[in-house]
Amino acid sequence: MIDTLFVAGLSHRTAPLDVREQLALEADKLREVLADLAGSGVCSELMVLSTCNRVEVYGVADVAGEARDAAFRRMGAQKGMDLRALEPLLYTATGADAVRHAFRVAASLDSMVLGEPQILGQVKDAFALAQTCRTLGPTLHALMSQAFAVAKRVRTDTEIGRYAVSVSFAAVELARKIFGSLRGKAVLLIGAGEMGELAARHLQDQGTLPIYVANRTWGRAQELARDLAGTAVRYEDATSVMAEVDIVITSTAAQEPIVRAAEVRAVMRARHARPLFFVDIAVPRNVEAAVNDLDNVYCYDVDDLRLVVESNMRERQREAQRGEQLVEREVARFVERLKDLDVVPTIVSLREKLEDIRRAEVARALGRLPGADDATKEALEALSQGIVNKVLHAPTVKLRDSSRAGHGRRWIEVISELFGLGPKAPGS
Amino acid sequence: MNAVVFDVALTAYMIAAAAALGSLFGRREDLARFATLLTAAGWLCHTAAIVLRGVEMRRAPVLTLAEVVSVVIWVAVLLGLWIERRYGITIFGAFFLPVILALGLGLPTGLRDLAFEPQSQSGWALVHVALIMVGLAALVLNFGSALMYVVQERQIKGKHTGTFYYGLPSLDTLDHLTLVTLTVGFPFLTVGLLLGLVQAGRSWANLLAGDPLALFSLLMWTVYAATLSGRAVGRWRGRRAAYFAIAGFCVLLATLGAGALFHGRHGS
Repeated sequence: MIDTLFVAGLSHRTAPLDVREQLALEADKLREVLADLAGSGVCSELMVLSTCNRVEVYGVADVAGEARDAAFRRMGAQKGMDLRALEPLLYTATGADAVRHAFRVAASLDSMVLGEPQILGQVKDAFALAQTCRTLGPTLHALMSQAFAVAKRVRTDTEIGRYAVSVSFAAVELARKIFGSLRGKAVLLIGAGEMGELAARHLQDQGTLPIYVANRTWGRAQELARDLAGTAVRYEDATSVMAEVDIVITSTAAQEPIVRAAEVRAVMRARHARPLFFVDIAVPRNVEAAVNDLDNVYCYDVDDLRLVVESNMRERQREAQRGEQLVEREVARFVERLKDLDVVPTIVSLREKLEDIRRAEVARALGRLPGADDATKEALEALSQGIVNKVLHAPTVKLRDSSRAGHGRRWIEVISELFGLGPKAPGS
Repeated sequence: MNAVVFDVALTAYMIAAAAALGSLFGRREDLARFATLLTAAGWLCHTAAIVLRGVEMRRAPVLTLAEVVSVVIWVAVLLGLWIERRYGITIFGAFFLPVILALGLGLPTGLRDLAFEPQSQSGWALVHVALIMVGLAALVLNFGSALMYVVQERQIKGKHTGTFYYGLPSLDTLDHLTLVTLTVGFPFLTVGLLLGLVQAGRSWANLLAGDPLALFSLLMWTVYAATLSGRAVGRWRGRRAAYFAIAGFCVLLATLGAGALFHGRHGS
């Protein structure tokens, strides 16, 4: 089973955006694709993951390449893309490598933005879709359930998703490094830039309250204040409001700094040196650089925030390495489990076969002994069961051992042949 | 026997300090947990060592400078563990354990058995010593948290988002911690010193002239009093308060040094 498991596809690592966009299919189309491929018989199990960053087919097939070609020919046909054009962009992994790939994708270790949380949900959706289309089997079922568990562990055991990777979230994170909890901290937003508004909204999500909005145009200030459920203040009063707030976001189009160090110094006296955090999202800057030199005042401009984001990305990479180690351990464990899974159907049918024989023979013997009392019947049962178990023992052990050693398939065939187990192949 | 148990405790603190530092620089949560567990185990050993010493010597185990330092460490570790729990600062150990070790190991062996004068063995003298010890322990932690504040403030101000930026708690938490440790330590120190003054007035004629330990203690008290009043007025917050905490601790070290090196009325 493990040898027939494969994943094939293309992702942000191998294919340009326009190809990915074209190939990404919505649920309805995917359902058709799944049904067609399952009907064609090239693979016994199938699941398609289709997002804007990757289009991948997970499946079980005797010849992985054949299944891959069939799948991408079918998907490409939706948008008039030829398989030959797609082929150089495709990667294929089988066996343990396919397991590793599935785990890494679900855990967001293969994502464009490391540790982004959406991918797990997308994998779950793909799984649910395949489930409703009845194209899943025991292998993919086991693989995906385990992939979800691994993804969850990577998220909780490492800090891969902990630090912000956008400028506006980085501002929130810094605010928390300064103030601890942001609950009840007051915010002043000067200017109506989009980024400023976004940062203000992120802060509100963290519980900041209240928010004041200042703008050169009074109407715009009122409008934005309404949107953010805040209070509009006159542009001229912004400096005096600074004495009351904890965080100031500036995003005006002014060409000269509008917040001067001398003003802030006076503000700090009025606020008894309570810390004040400036988030200057404007370009050119709205806050004079010297403001950051004042005691208990912190000022971050867009470039500073970008540096924080870069450093956060490095943090994520560091954590991703721990995630990779975790995945590696899980892959080894899963492959073992899957190998066991391989021989289970054979063991089950062997047991069923012998049990059938046993029951029939016991019934026949009892037919010949009409006067048999309960003790005799019990003895017959026990005797026959004992023989069956003893006979089963050696082949069962042999099957499990050989499957762990990697040549289970041969022994499955041998034992099926010897005991006449019929054409019931593993995984079907 | 008590010396052996004490050494075990000290060794535990040492390994814990190394683990805590490793956790800070390597950003390893598991190491921080290990350090905390080991610190707690060391503290239990330390408790046994202090009790054993009292039993073996048949007297209160706080009459030599080494004993005083030992009890200060004992209280400080307990407070430190409590703070780690209360504020969830798992890497606090990285900041107070090294300070504590410096205190424990910095005492020259020759001075370890330096004893106080026999008259200080009265009941009130013991209370005087005990109160000051609790105060000093809190101030050791005050220093640890001030150090963390200064480091984190430099990171944020300087826009270096390095190891410490990620590993240390928020400035608000650290500032609060510096304030809490000072407000806990200062009253103990004050009452303890006052008790000492009262007894000195009774038993010694001219206190400060002949006793460097008392002199430095007063200086130390002044620095901490200034920090606390500065905070109360609302002007000294954050970095300035942290610098004062560090300065206060330097005087504290000098005070202990004075107690060890000069032969004043406290000891012989």
